[in-house]
Amino acid sequence: MAENGEEKLLAVARHIAKTLGHNESMADDILQIFSNFDGRFSREKLAEGQAGEDGSGVAVLERALNSLDGQISRFVAADQPIWADPADSAAFLDTIDELVSITREWGPMASEKPVGVCLARADDMMQQAMFRIEEEFRSLMERGAESFGLNPQGDGAAMNNRFDSDEEDDYDRDFQNGDDIQIPVAQPLTDYDLIIDALPSATINDLHEMAKRMLAAGFGKACSHVYSACRREFLEESMTRLGLQKLSIEEVHKMPWQELEDEIDRWIKAANVALRILFPSERRLCDRVFFGFSSAADLSFMEVCRGSTIQLLNFADAIAIGSRSPERLFKVLDVFETMRDLMPEFESVFSDQFCSVLRNEAVTIWKRLGEAIRGIFMELENLIRRDPAKAAVPGGGLHPITRYVMNYLRAACRSRQTLEQVFEESNGVPSKDSTLLTVQMSWIMELLESNLEVKSKVYKDPALCAVFLMNNGRYIVQKVKDGDLGLLLGEDWIRKHNAKVRQYHLSYQRNSWNKMLGMLKVDNTAAGMNGLGKAMKEKLKQFNTQFDETCKTHSTWVVFDEQLKEELRISLARLLLPAYGNFIGRFQNLGDIGKNADRYIKYGVEDIEARINELFKGTTTARK
Amino acid sequence: MPATDFQGSFGRTLLSFRRDQVDSTAGSSHHERSNMEVELDSFQRQVAEKFIDLNASGGENELLSLEWIGKLLDSFLCCQEEFRAIVFNHRSQISKSPMDRLISDYFERSIKALDVCNAIRDGIEQIRQWQKLSDIVISALDSNRPIGEGQLRRAKKALIDLAIGMLDEKDPSSATNLAHRNRSFGRMKDNHSHHRSIGHFRSLSWSVSRSWSASKQLQALANNLATPRPNDVAATNGLAVPVYTMTKNSCGLLKEIDRIEKSSRVMNELIDSIHFPLTDEKETEVKQRVEELVDVHEALKNGLDPFERKIREVFHRIVRSRTESLDCL
Repeated sequence: MAENGEEKLLAVARHIAKTLGHNESMADDILQIFSNFDGRFSREKLAEGQAGEDGSGVAVLERALNSLDGQISRFVAADQPIWADPADSAAFLDTIDELVSITREWGPMASEKPVGVCLARADDMMQQAMFRIEEEFRSLMERGAESFGLNPQGDGAAMNNRFDSDEEDDYDRDFQNGDDIQIPVAQPLTDYDLIIDALPSATINDLHEMAKRMLAAGFGKACSHVYSACRREFLEESMTRLGLQKLSIEEVHKMPWQELEDEIDRWIKAANVALRILFPSERRLCDRVFFGFSSAADLSFMEVCRGSTIQLLNFADAIAIGSRSPERLFKVLDVFETMRDLMPEFESVFSDQFCSVLRNEAVTIWKRLGEAIRGIFMELENLIRRDPAKAAVPGGGLHPITRYVMNYLRAACRSRQTLEQVFEESNGVPSKDSTLLTVQMSWIMELLESNLEVKSKVYKDPALCAVFLMNNGRYIVQKVKDGDLGLLLGEDWIRKHNAKVRQYHLSYQRNSWNKMLGMLKVDNTAAGMNGLGKAMKEKLKQFNTQFDETCKTHSTWVVFDEQLKEELRISLARLLLPAYGNFIGRFQNLGDIGKNADRYIKYGVEDIEARINELFKGTTTARK
Repeated sequence: MPATDFQGSFGRTLLSFRRDQVDSTAGSSHHERSNMEVELDSFQRQVAEKFIDLNASGGENELLSLEWIGKLLDSFLCCQEEFRAIVFNHRSQISKSPMDRLISDYFERSIKALDVCNAIRDGIEQIRQWQKLSDIVISALDSNRPIGEGQLRRAKKALIDLAIGMLDEKDPSSATNLAHRNRSFGRMKDNHSHHRSIGHFRSLSWSVSRSWSASKQLQALANNLATPRPNDVAATNGLAVPVYTMTKNSCGLLKEIDRIEKSSRVMNELIDSIHFPLTDEKETEVKQRVEELVDVHEALKNGLDPFERKIREVFHRIVRSRTESLDCL
């Protein structure tokens, strides 16, 4: 009876709607009012009756929508995540598929009023379903990442659990063996050939099914938005865990160099992990979730990686723009080399059109690091050129600038290949015989030498000036000879500079010993034996005085290189001893005077030799 | 409008500024000096003219629009090129005192400008995120179909996200609460970590630390810029203006941002006021508001990419000019 009464009521309602409504849409509005008014007048019930009446195609559509509406409403209203239950999620997806196919099927007939009304309703239902599926998608992504140990405390136990539950890949071995599992992505630094799955395989499949529906229904952008927001968060957290800070260029510049060195080390690790592990892993995840939708995959991937990439590049850029102080060369070379070595990764992981900006930025910044290195060499040139000739180095010894520059260049040449690359780049055209670095190095050597020449003028004594240049020249040649620098500058250069050192050597002898040697010449033209004897006596006295003085002074001078010292002594002995021996021999044989010769001869030949061997020892005053 | 006054008087000051300086410059030969004088005068005039032009094109509605700022950046790039040429032509004097000090001070400031460029790029990225949300609002409401509950729900959700996004830039603490409320779905079990991760996420989405503030930076950029050298003043301030307008408090000043904010707020209120069934009047109103949003959306869609490229260009040019001058030192 009650059932019958309701039937009647519905019939009346339909009648009223038909009578009052001047057109279909108005009638529909009236039915809508009824349905809002009382549960008994639900659209479903009202529609059922109608369908029964005319049985047309629209009625079939309407019936189908009614049934789908019921299901979708049930899902949309669910308190628990639909994807908590595989049966539920499968049913929900089927419902959406059906809705999509109905909408497609009836789409061409949308201009027919009743069909249009139905399609609007279908669209509304789709919006509701998409709204829900988007939430489910987000929640699944977040839960997935969580189950994979993105927990703030870096709890090792949780990490192990998640790997135990996933049998698919063999990476868990790598992680579990690590002593410290605090930073999961940073563990296998020695082996970058590794892709991690940030989400369990089952979750990825679920996400793919959802993404497929959202893209099919035209909600691709929303899907990609949710996806990238979640993954970006994961990625940026990973970067933070790698110890990478967000720094402005100014902050980088103001950072004390030692701190910055540590920061650079961290950056190098982070860049390697990001480009070799994290980004390729994200790429794979993206390709799996958006399988079959390459454009959506590319866009989402770019959105995910953009921020982290820019963060990495900004730091490298700040280093490139930063101070050109020469001691920074080695770290800047490290950054340059890291960027260079990662270029293939930048090319491959960012190969799609959306990422081309990132790719180009990476190249630009890499080149800029090259510029920075050239700038550092320029700064080194300036420092050498402007290094003032202040106090003379005591004893004509090694100047600190020589030591600094040579050791610096030797260290720099350990990165010879990189430097060759850097200087070739500057030319635009790569040269075959890598002459540009050679040119650069010879130029620096030239600057150093002319700076040393200016500095040598500080010495009043030309002999000391020569010792100074000899010392520094010798050091330069030695440092060049036994390293890559020698290969760069070439045999010719070394030969030329050895000759230069010999010149200084000769110059030293000439300036200090030649005069004495002159004293030992026996002048045969002197009148008579007595005259000769007198002259020789006089010369010997002069010689003794001069020799004493010279030895006293020159023994405080410095020759740092033992071999050079030995060479100097030998050549002095060769120069002096025969002449002296000859001189005193003649003197002793000069009859009467010769008999008293020993009164005038202060030194025997051996004594002279002994004194020569005392030269260039340096003294406490010289070392001051 | 205060900004207008500022620019007008700034241009004039620049024109007169040079002349006071000339007499005190000493040292170089007479011939060289007069050459340089002509060169610098023309530079000052050009900078001043650019400002006057910009001032003229920036009518009430155009000022601070994406297009206007684009023009401003173009002008800056022109001035920057001129400045580069001047520095290059007189590089022999750069390493001498007091020019070396002034130049290094200028470079110090240019570093700040580079950071501001990067901040603008972050800002553009932020706007892109808002664009995506307004895109969802538009796609939900902008169709020939009648508006149903489902559409409204999606639009409303996107509008709330948008409001949170924009609010976050102003006051992180309130945003976190809102975000938490809004995104509580499916996260009941883990409120604590969720809360943390949102705050974290927000701060991570910037390539500089959150304590870094573009407006502070700009103040530092312009600080003590009273006298030293006209070139310096022009070259930094030329940048300071767009940069200032773009980034003050991170958002809100760019005309388009302001429009999105207003438009989405109105729409949000409108949607709150809607009860089903929808009256024709309401529906028309919604459609109208959507049209407004579409307008801004389109303007930004077409303008953001070239704008970002231009900002990058400015960045690279400042770096290049800096590198060149350093090479001269």
